[in-house]
Amino acid sequence: MAPWKRELALPVTLVAIALGILISIAVQTQKNVSAAEKINAQRMTAAKSVLTNVQAQNDQLKKTNQQLTAQLEQARKQGRTDPAVLAELDRAGILDGTRKVEGPGVQIFIDDRKQDHKTVLPITPDNLLEIINTLRFAGAEAISVNQQRIVASTAIVYSGSSTILVNQVPITRVEGIPYEIDAIGNQDTLVDYFSNLEADALKKSGINVSIVRKTVQIPSFKGSRTFRLAKPEQND
Amino acid sequence: MSLLKERRVLIFGASILVGFLFIVLLRAHGTAGNTLQQEAALPSLIQTEQENQQLAADNDKLRQELAKYNEGANTSALALQQLQDSNMNAGLIPVAGPGIRITLNDAQKKGVSDDPQNYVIHEAYIRLLVNILWSGGAEAIAVNGQRIMGSTEIFCSGPYIQINGTRQVPPYIIEAIGDIHNLQSVLNFAYTWDQLGDFQSVYGITRKLEVVDHLHIPAGKPQKVQYAQPVKEGS
Repeated sequence: MAPWKRELALPVTLVAIALGILISIAVQTQKNVSAAEKINAQRMTAAKSVLTNVQAQNDQLKKTNQQLTAQLEQARKQGRTDPAVLAELDRAGILDGTRKVEGPGVQIFIDDRKQDHKTVLPITPDNLLEIINTLRFAGAEAISVNQQRIVASTAIVYSGSSTILVNQVPITRVEGIPYEIDAIGNQDTLVDYFSNLEADALKKSGINVSIVRKTVQIPSFKGSRTFRLAKPEQND
Repeated sequence: MSLLKERRVLIFGASILVGFLFIVLLRAHGTAGNTLQQEAALPSLIQTEQENQQLAADNDKLRQELAKYNEGANTSALALQQLQDSNMNAGLIPVAGPGIRITLNDAQKKGVSDDPQNYVIHEAYIRLLVNILWSGGAEAIAVNGQRIMGSTEIFCSGPYIQINGTRQVPPYIIEAIGDIHNLQSVLNFAYTWDQLGDFQSVYGITRKLEVVDHLHIPAGKPQKVQYAQPVKEGS
């Protein structure tokens, strides 16, 4: 065995101590990490089960909503209501957004997610208001943004710094294309106005935009409207 | 120079240790990345929860309506009441009540050096203010006597602003019925309102706010429905 050199004794001891400390830290970290992983996994399952519950509740509520609407329609028909009044009711329900409607129109997808090699300005409530305004200008009869029906009193505002509320409901999508805007009306006019007045500006901000002609279904408005202060007057 | 056998063993051992430490570090890093996925689940949870509340409220409304039919009330009268409610929501009935009146006007004298756009009222201001007033709980809004309905456009067409297909020129008068305190406070929190205040002091545009006890807001003309068909849930 080679003789130990005295001058090596100190550095070797120091290195040994350092290694020892590192090993013990590593072991400790490893323990913490496994604990953290376990906690994380538990949280994930908890969050997932809550989400599944809420989702199931959502499906149930939607089903109940459909059943109730159907029952109500039935009840109206069974009574001896004047058919002219029923027709009026249908029309008024389209205008005030309380009826789910279907018809020829357009489906617009807007993708403002970050992309490589490209800066993207995210969509703001102002952008959405402008798009809706243009669709109204094009004569749209019904509009929805991420399945929220747009009515006269729909406000589109930020909650915090990035969540957009429509009809007081957050419309953020975690997966898939962030915004889907559906509109019913004259397809040529809708495509023409949207492409010329909105699409170019959005594309310049780095946003991906697509519009297709499609027969779309637009859900009913489910928010609340109350008239506490505004009193009806005689039509003149 | 060749290393002695013992030293090689030492270096081998040290390398394994370093490798082990690396792995531990990488694993710790990996779990940190994992939490992102969990955070992404939260917004969709909140969103679905909010949507559920909205749906539950709507279901209650439908149940109440249905209960009236089941109690054997006069169906024709109920249908007429429903029609009245719908027309009220759609803005087809004139209304009166307390509220606020905002007056916006272009600057009378235009500066030479600045951008002339700063001296005029743009349609976007009106659109944004209307949106803010709705968010503050306004019950009915009209701009220059044009009722704001679901189909109403507020569109810039050069020298005038098109609202409900009519041409409007300044001054623009926005009238809103609602709780005057709520309406005033949402305005005070709004960027657009602030900005218009700045334009008033710098460029001389008009931004005036009045509280009115008794506003009259006219009915709108219903849009012609040609394309949309109601979806019958029953069939």
